[in-house]
Amino acid sequence: MTEQWVTFSKIGDAALVSLSGEIDLANSGEIGKAIVGRIRDSGKVLIDLTTVSFLDSAGVRLLDALVGDLAAQGKRARLVVGERGAARMTLRLCAFREDVLSTDRDRAAAELGG
Amino acid sequence: MTQELRPPWDEDPDDLYEHAPCGYLTMLPDGTIVRVNQTFLTWTGYQRGDLVGHRRFRDLLSAGGQLYHETHYAPLLRLRDEVRELAFDVVCADGRTLPTVVNSMLARGPEREPRAIRAMVLDATERRRNEQELLDSRRRAEDSERRIRVLQEVVADLAAAPTEAEVAEAVVRAPESAFGAASSSIYLIDPERETIVAVASTDPTTGNWDDMPVTSSRAVARVAERGDLHVVGSLAEAARHFPDLVDNMRRSGRDTVVLLPLTTGPTEEHAGAETLGVLAFSFTGERKLSDADLSVVRLLGQQAGQALDRARLYDEARRREERVTFLAETTRALDELPRMLPRARRLLDRLVPEIADWAEVRLSVGPTGVQEERGARPPDPDMLALALARVTASGEPIFPAADEKLACAVLPLTARGRVLGTLALRRTPERGSDDHERAFLLELADRSALTLENSRLYEQERQIARTLQRSLLAGGPPGGDKRFTVETHYQAAGQDLEVGGDWFDAFLITKDRLAVVVGDVVGRGIDAATTMGQLRSAIRALSGEDVGPARLLEGLDRFVDRVESARMATVAYAEIDLVTGDLTYACAGHLPPLLQEPGGAPEYLMQARSAGLGSRAGDLRRTQETRRLPAGSRLLLYTDGLIERRSRPLDKGFELLAREFARRQDAPLQGFTAGLADTLVGRDHADDVCLLCVSLGTEERIERTIGADRMQITLLRADLRAWLVSHGVEPETRDAVLLACSEAVANSIEHGYRDDPFGMIDVVATVTADAVEVKVADRGTWRGPMTDVSRGRGLQLIRESMDQVLFDRSDGTIVTMRRAREAAA
Repeated sequence: MTEQWVTFSKIGDAALVSLSGEIDLANSGEIGKAIVGRIRDSGKVLIDLTTVSFLDSAGVRLLDALVGDLAAQGKRARLVVGERGAARMTLRLCAFREDVLSTDRDRAAAELGG
Repeated sequence: MTQELRPPWDEDPDDLYEHAPCGYLTMLPDGTIVRVNQTFLTWTGYQRGDLVGHRRFRDLLSAGGQLYHETHYAPLLRLRDEVRELAFDVVCADGRTLPTVVNSMLARGPEREPRAIRAMVLDATERRRNEQELLDSRRRAEDSERRIRVLQEVVADLAAAPTEAEVAEAVVRAPESAFGAASSSIYLIDPERETIVAVASTDPTTGNWDDMPVTSSRAVARVAERGDLHVVGSLAEAARHFPDLVDNMRRSGRDTVVLLPLTTGPTEEHAGAETLGVLAFSFTGERKLSDADLSVVRLLGQQAGQALDRARLYDEARRREERVTFLAETTRALDELPRMLPRARRLLDRLVPEIADWAEVRLSVGPTGVQEERGARPPDPDMLALALARVTASGEPIFPAADEKLACAVLPLTARGRVLGTLALRRTPERGSDDHERAFLLELADRSALTLENSRLYEQERQIARTLQRSLLAGGPPGGDKRFTVETHYQAAGQDLEVGGDWFDAFLITKDRLAVVVGDVVGRGIDAATTMGQLRSAIRALSGEDVGPARLLEGLDRFVDRVESARMATVAYAEIDLVTGDLTYACAGHLPPLLQEPGGAPEYLMQARSAGLGSRAGDLRRTQETRRLPAGSRLLLYTDGLIERRSRPLDKGFELLAREFARRQDAPLQGFTAGLADTLVGRDHADDVCLLCVSLGTEERIERTIGADRMQITLLRADLRAWLVSHGVEPETRDAVLLACSEAVANSIEHGYRDDPFGMIDVVATVTADAVEVKVADRGTWRGPMTDVSRGRGLQLIRESMDQVLFDRSDGTIVTMRRAREAAA
């Protein structure tokens, strides 16, 4: 059901969660469940938001929860998000922690690896 | 009681013994002769004293006889006391040998000890000769039978051999099996080139395999010329007549060589018998060939010659047929591709490697010309350039001479009296007679030239048609009027097709009346493009403030009576009153326009339909239909290339178009038609595609009422996004407004209506040059300050993304938000 918004793959040894389209109140719950189910065994998680065309507070809440949970488990996470665009704007407005944001997926993967 | 008969004459027993008709010998057990009769002495020429007491019988035998005496005669005699009919060659006093047959008996004493051997010797000269002759004649019969059998087999093989090569293969094996030759080789005469070529050999390590002219002094050439069998019986003979053979014979240890011309008839009747080749075979050791052998050899020569003759005719017929087929297939293959470069390339693909191992086409057309080549090892560029220049200047072909380095044919490509370019090619070896070869290459060049010339004309016409069409479609639609936007797209068919007669047009009849047209003329090419231009002008001329679509079509019907090429053209024509939003339309045989009103489903306009222009069988009663369009409506006119596919029914095409159209309703109009064409037909399509989309007015305000369902937020946002895009609101502001509006609606759903799933939310947005304002109102219950952290974040986002935010909680909640536009800021 959530394939149009979220797909999973690997980049190096990190789990890559690619989000796409509009992430909002209507779908963030489902997307969250799908993600949690898939990254349980990953030590490193990369969440790619570069093709997200809309992100609302529900989406931010989802990302915040994911990053927080991963940190609590001693796992590392990075969000990849374009320098401009809707997702960047929302995250900036919410003052999302800059240290978990990256604009380049490969660099983010490298940082996770190091 | 026996009564002794007296003979009628006195018989002297001694005389009888001495002159008996056979030789008698008496020997001691060790073989020493003790008594011998005169007959034996007379036959052998010995004196009695030479033998008696001095020689043993075995001393008189040949070496082989002595051995036989030792191993057979003596042991048998001792065993059986008697041996009969043993053949011995007795060596006479003068060294002759006398073939004899010997019967012997061993006489024993009382103690059975051997005492004496008596031997009777018969002269077997005649008998031995008879036996030899019998053996010889049997061998001769066998030889002859074997030869006949071999010859029969060869003849059978020859009959089944359809090509020269196979004939040669069958013949070259015959001398070994028929005559016991050590090796044999076959040479064929190439009459066109006047050379003799070695084609097959059972032992390629012998002989000289160079081609030789028919006038060569070499033995093979001489024999071929004379047309008669020649046997070189020894090295000495070779040295005398054919010195070229000596080295080879010596090197390969041959002493006899037979050179047999392969003729089409018996060589005695010289008239009409043609020599086609030479079979050379050789023997180790000097070999005399009997008359019988020679007649069989001659027969072989004739049989092989006739088979070669047959194979040559057959080869030539087959080649001719292959050439004709090749030419026909090539022409057909080229006709499949109308454009010049693909045609030239296909020509080369046909030539290499099938008939040439390298080929090149040069065409002097266009600013740069065409130069394409295939195959490996191109010829020397300087020599080629020289040959090309000669052929281009003279229009005469160059065929390669045997000794020429260029080694390729250069043919002029001549069409309509003009040398269009050149075709150069290097043939693969198998080619047959040169006359036929030349005729074939010239025919190939002529056909290629014609088809390439046609493609050049096609190319030219296509270029003109494209230019014409582009000029007619140029001069974009009217713009600068806020009340409407027209977006058009024209996509030419896949590259190898001629231009079609699709067109679009949009023009203002008056300042408040917009006309839009999409039409399609029957046919392709320059004619279609010209007709399209005429119709386009006619429509502009016929339209008028009080004319309307129906009367305009009637005018076009009269027009096509004068411009026949426009008959059965189809037209979708619509006029839009920019003040009232009234759309009046009519379709003459054209696909129905597709309309999408804001918030509605796409709808095909199926009214006001009639037949194509000037139709003789169709319904020409022109009618028109009017309906009022709300601002934000989009109307799409298109040609059949957009939806018609051979692979699917038309309904499916309609369905697909409607779906794609609806899916893109929020997409900005700019690039809308191109995107639609791209999705529906892709890049590689068989028909031209022509689209025109007119978007009516832009809503100054957008008003939406949605249920308190989080799913509705997404739909609202899509509407709002499209509306913001249509107003050209810059992306930053647009994203901010969308975010704030979504948060406000989410707030109403999650907070105001948390106990009321049936609550309704009103959203109103307005845009001005300076700012965007959005009002979100619900009638939910306000329950004091929120404690929910996430909803708090939502409110924070609204405040952060908008410049001004006002909460009014007097009746439900009304959030009024405003953000200044960038241009104004």
